[in-house]
Amino acid sequence: MWARLFGPESKRLRLLKQSDQGPLLDFYRQAFVDTKTPARGVDYVVLDFETTGLDIHNDHIISIGLIEIRGFSIHLDTAWHQIIKSTRDMPGETAVIHKITDDMLVHGMEVEDAVVKLLQRMKGKVLIAHHAVIELGFLNKICQKYFNQEFYMPVIDTELLAKRVFSRHHQEIKSSSLRLFNLRKKYDLPAYRAHNALSDALSTAELFLALLNDLYPKQDCRLKDLLKGMPGS
Amino acid sequence: MEIELQEIYDYLSMQVPFITLTEASRKTLVNMIVIHYLRRGQAFPPSDIDQNYLYLLRSGAIDLRDADGNLFEKMNEGETYSSACVAESDDGGHGIASEDSLLYMIPCKVIQSLQDESPDFHQYFITSVHQRLKYALECRQRSEDAQSFMQLSVSDIASRTPISVSSDTSIANAAKHMTHENVSSILVMQDEQLVGIMSDHDLRSRCVATGLNTELPVSKIMTTELISVSDNTSLADTLLTMTRHQIHHLPVVIGNRPTGMVSVTDLIHQLGANPAFIATDIEKANSVERLVQVSRYLPELQLQLAMANSTAVQIGEVITAITDALTRRLLVFAERTLGPPPVPYVWLAGGSQGRNEQTSHSDQDNALFISDDMRPEHDAYFAALAKSVSDGLDACGYIYCPGNAMATNDRWRQPVRVWRKYFRKWIEQPEKKSLMLSSIFFDLRPVYGEAQLYEEVQRDMLSMTRSNGIFIAFMVSNALSRRPPVGFFRNFVLIHDQEHDHTLDIKHRGIIPIVDIARVYALSEGLTACNSTERLRLAYESGSMSQEMSENLIDSLEYISSLRIQHQAQQIRDGMQADNYIDPKTLSGLERGHLKDAFMIIKDMQEVLESRHQATRMQ
Repeated sequence: MWARLFGPESKRLRLLKQSDQGPLLDFYRQAFVDTKTPARGVDYVVLDFETTGLDIHNDHIISIGLIEIRGFSIHLDTAWHQIIKSTRDMPGETAVIHKITDDMLVHGMEVEDAVVKLLQRMKGKVLIAHHAVIELGFLNKICQKYFNQEFYMPVIDTELLAKRVFSRHHQEIKSSSLRLFNLRKKYDLPAYRAHNALSDALSTAELFLALLNDLYPKQDCRLKDLLKGMPGS
Repeated sequence: MEIELQEIYDYLSMQVPFITLTEASRKTLVNMIVIHYLRRGQAFPPSDIDQNYLYLLRSGAIDLRDADGNLFEKMNEGETYSSACVAESDDGGHGIASEDSLLYMIPCKVIQSLQDESPDFHQYFITSVHQRLKYALECRQRSEDAQSFMQLSVSDIASRTPISVSSDTSIANAAKHMTHENVSSILVMQDEQLVGIMSDHDLRSRCVATGLNTELPVSKIMTTELISVSDNTSLADTLLTMTRHQIHHLPVVIGNRPTGMVSVTDLIHQLGANPAFIATDIEKANSVERLVQVSRYLPELQLQLAMANSTAVQIGEVITAITDALTRRLLVFAERTLGPPPVPYVWLAGGSQGRNEQTSHSDQDNALFISDDMRPEHDAYFAALAKSVSDGLDACGYIYCPGNAMATNDRWRQPVRVWRKYFRKWIEQPEKKSLMLSSIFFDLRPVYGEAQLYEEVQRDMLSMTRSNGIFIAFMVSNALSRRPPVGFFRNFVLIHDQEHDHTLDIKHRGIIPIVDIARVYALSEGLTACNSTERLRLAYESGSMSQEMSENLIDSLEYISSLRIQHQAQQIRDGMQADNYIDPKTLSGLERGHLKDAFMIIKDMQEVLESRHQATRMQ
């Protein structure tokens, strides 16, 4: 009852009332997962954006990578990678990191169309991202701009989960130790050479499973346990 | 497949058995992968899976245990666990993640749908460890870059129309016929049966040189001790026959009817360096210096045989035949210098030479059995003989035995009655240490001299070993002292010394354990054979070893030996000294997989021996 009044679901219902048409109406029509559900039974979408920078207002998305977790397993047949069309020049340095050239960006998908497709993939699920403020920030900006409405969904930030692990073990938290690469190393996950939105989404998904097993060795938690202290919860 | 999953594709492409699939299939497979994470201590296979999967361990480690909870395998990064996908799996069991592990899972039904595409892939799943190894051997035999030398049979290269004359033809007419046909030897027939062969050499030495009347029939000078090969003999065995008998022409026969002739030249067209030639060179050599020169071809010969895809058993036989020829020649030299022996003796080869399993330039193991008529003053003669041969072998590249198991050692140069005492002591009062030393003397084979001096001792020795359970128990314990490195990759038990860091001693960890098992069976069954493959085959025929185990061990020995041959071939090509230390990194994923299978077979057999041994002790 309280969850319904104050949890993600009540927020969804409020947002649904506000929306009149378009992709967000469709998105908010689908109920969020009950937070009392055992976390194992929840479907998750793991998302990563490659962007031109961290400034949500002036930078933009270069590519989107997505992969799904069902039953605490990552399913590679759900992998999706999309390059976003851009007419603006990309800073040279970014091109080097992401191995995406201007030419590829010209032939990418319009960001508006990509987000419509993304909303389709995400509805009714729980979002996972590493340092999720970036993904949430860009999504919200785009939704406000094209669909005149706020973006909201339950989210698990693997960076915050990692912080929980560190504080549980009374370990000192350095900002560098919370980076995706270093956290994967801590859990002996294989080093992926590639650096693109999809392989980072996959990396994040694997890290999520490792963190989950560290925090809940019996995997007996509920969704609300994972959402505790997460943005928007 | 999203191209961004390239990394997973690349990883999958390196692993057994996916390496055998087409690119398209591997790309399809990547999409089918489900990734699962196991924390250390969690059960494997995961308890909450919805269907049967093949597991590829991407990182971490898993201990697999049998129904009794005994650890039987450690699964490491890059290894697959396919039990659930194999219809009649023989290695089912349960495991525990011993480290945090990342699993790539592929549904069995996807695996099954891909099996039609690649026979190699199919083979991996339908078969047991043993059958996989057998299949790997077949694949080696038909590998594409190897010449087909060993697959051809002699009828493929023999001359189609044998040139022959009847036995009452005059020598003069037969010689004319040979000149006309431009051949150096001619078959002699009587009532459509092959009765002899006459060569240029016979003409020279038995007719021209002795001034024999050329109007006499050819039957007067022909060679009647006919050595021939049947038409389906392999080229390798043909070559071996020529090498052993030091002859250059062989009639090819079906029954007793000649269908063609094959010469060493015909074989040379198929193969460059030639053991028959080397053996002839040895026979003609008149000095140790010349023998040293000839033996320099040995590594080259081994390389050629390896390139021609001969089996390891064949290579062992050819190389040993040449070592035998060198030894015999050195003994002839010694007798020339020292004079005829005062009493009969027999020179015996032990170790790998005794077993016909030599690769080029191993160390020398030998012994001298002397007639009981020997008097103390005769020892000076035999000591000089042994020294002369041993020095000669060393000069030819067969280094002195590090354990001093050579006829130059007083202990191993004794009359028959002393040898009988040695064997009786080893068998009736076995000690672990002395057995390790003496095991090479249970592989003795006469090379030169009076073979029966040894054969009588051997017969009595085998009748003692056959009935002596305690002795066999000691031999078993000796055979169990060297275990194959079963855990793979990281677990590969590597030897650590300065020179051979991070390498696997394939001889002591792979070959010798099988040789030791074969010896145990030979001694407990009283088999006279020395060759390990033959011993294992006879162990099955005598009913003491199952057919399956016998075949599996023979295949394992062949596979491991062939990897050694391949390793040494590369070293010889690189101008290095051939050795037994293989860097696991130089093996392909498939080779590592098969080597592991071979090690598993040895381990299984050692466990069988171990349990029998314990049973014996309890009685």
